[in-house]
Amino acid sequence: MAKEMSPERPRVGASSEDVAISETSSFFWKRSLWVTLLRTVIVAGFLLLWEIASGRWIEPFLISSPSRIFSSMMNSFQSGDLLQHTWVTFQEIAIGFPLGAISGIALGYWFGRSQLLAEIFEPIIMALNGIPRTALAPLFIVWLGIGIWSKVGVVFLLTFFLNFFNTYAGMRQMDQEYIDLARLMGASRWKLTFRVILPAISPYVFTGIRTSIPFSVIGAIVGEFIAATEGVGFFIRLSAGIFKTADVFVGIIVLMLMVIAMDKVADLIEKRVLQWQTHTEHVRIQG
Amino acid sequence: MERSHQVATRESSSRDDAEKAQGANRLVIQVENATKIFQTPDQGRMIALERITLNVPYGEFVTVVGPSGCGKSTLLKLIAGLTPLSGGRILYQGSEVRGLNTKVGYVPQESKLFPWLTLEENVAFGLDSKRYSKQQREHQLRHFINLAGLTGFEKYYPAQLSGGMGKRASIIRALAYEPPVILMDEPFGPLDAQTRMVLQDELLKIWEQQRQTIIFVTHDLVEAVALADRVVVITHRPGRVKDVIQVPMQRPRNIFEIHRQEGFDEAYGRLWNIFRNELNIRNNSNG
Ligand SMILES: Nc1ncnc2c1ncn2[C@@H]1O[C@H](COP(=O)(O)OP(=O)(O)OP(=O)(O)O)[C@@H](O)[C@H]1O
Ligand SMILES: [Mg+2]
Repeated sequence: MAKEMSPERPRVGASSEDVAISETSSFFWKRSLWVTLLRTVIVAGFLLLWEIASGRWIEPFLISSPSRIFSSMMNSFQSGDLLQHTWVTFQEIAIGFPLGAISGIALGYWFGRSQLLAEIFEPIIMALNGIPRTALAPLFIVWLGIGIWSKVGVVFLLTFFLNFFNTYAGMRQMDQEYIDLARLMGASRWKLTFRVILPAISPYVFTGIRTSIPFSVIGAIVGEFIAATEGVGFFIRLSAGIFKTADVFVGIIVLMLMVIAMDKVADLIEKRVLQWQTHTEHVRIQG
Repeated sequence: MERSHQVATRESSSRDDAEKAQGANRLVIQVENATKIFQTPDQGRMIALERITLNVPYGEFVTVVGPSGCGKSTLLKLIAGLTPLSGGRILYQGSEVRGLNTKVGYVPQESKLFPWLTLEENVAFGLDSKRYSKQQREHQLRHFINLAGLTGFEKYYPAQLSGGMGKRASIIRALAYEPPVILMDEPFGPLDAQTRMVLQDELLKIWEQQRQTIIFVTHDLVEAVALADRVVVITHRPGRVKDVIQVPMQRPRNIFEIHRQEGFDEAYGRLWNIFRNELNIRNNSNG
């Protein structure tokens, strides 16, 4: 589209860019310091308000307080209880998520390649997609018992569809001309798949993976809420049942950290794989 | 026009196999009565190309001109086997082309470099490991990148190149693996006049060394004459071969002073006459 029309060789050598970067880097450094500072102040202010409000204006069993949550967390980890629960939930996700993601991506790719397959199965998949998937969680308990496998099933289900739809969308918008060119240049099937099609759809694949990360955790927790003897979801439900609100928050924090850690890993991989995309700058709408 | 049509009719009406084989030896691409009909959105039929006949001998530089929408891109796609014929046939080295013809290289209207590959990887895409040893690949790569004046940019991604650099890369990607025939679809279309001239010059220099067969689509009459041994003029709706003009200019040519070169005026004058007639006809029918 808006290609750079600059005539011949003014861009040769990166020197002009180097200058620009060194001129502005101190500005960026100051700016990012400010951003961090502001963020810290806001979070600290919120925690402080919470601490003050608890017990003065609002009953502590409703909202607990940061200090209570902190000491609960220490206790739970020391007793080894929480570690065991975390480990169980981690296992459910560690099995269900990759299975769901890989099969979703594979099926999305396959549908994209085969017109016939897509025509046959598309309405069926659409209909299945209409089902609120967490509503199927009790069925998984019936089928697979109250151990980790029923939760693996729910995680799989939630992960699978998101990855499938995103990958399939990527295949649908794939530029035919890239495929034509590669085939004219004598690309083998393998080369066409791994050097052309997969890279072309990789932004979509990563969107699928990253949107499904929080959903995989939701899947595990919903499963554990329904019927379980272990897991962070079980721990949260148990704690809420006996009004140990601080423990509920401890469970929530563990889940949050889990999502953040997974997202971080995905982010690192994505940055490596999609380094050819230059989306480093924030979109500017004004000025 | 008369001459080329006579050649075509004599060949197709000839029953003499020997003569035909000889003719086929000389010619690398033969388009015989090629017709392409598209379906219109309202289920009608649109004749994009009608009975196109065109014979291209080895090492010739043919340009194809015609108004926008007359079917130039379609003609190239037919020759490459990217889209099926509605009638007639296309021969490559005397035998009919069915499906994709991987013997032809293709430079599309937009650069269409693979955005996920570096410039180097793009140019090397067609350098199949079965046909080229590692050293040969390296050599080809360096040779062409150097010819296109892109040395130093090997590791750049297409998004980091200027429009003109992208064009050059797209052209050497097709040249590097040495297909006997190269199809170029308005490769310099959206570029400014200066960049265009520099690239035309570079293309001619490369071609003079390699002497591959080139079929080059353009809508610029000066470009058509400046580059070609022969200019094929195609009319609009239905697309037919209106005329074929020989360009008697010597080689090597100086693109920057092409107007002063002997033979340019004559060929350009004839070409412009054809277009003026077209315009006159249209004016008359309008008025
Ligand atoms: N896939 C398609 N389906 C239907 N009609 C098509 C298709 N491709 C091209 N056409 C039609 O065929 C005609 C010729 O198209 P083509 O792209 O070959 O023109 P062109 O000579 O290359 O034009 P330009 O100079 O603007 O690139 C146009 O009228 C176009 O609408
Ligand atoms: Mg075109």
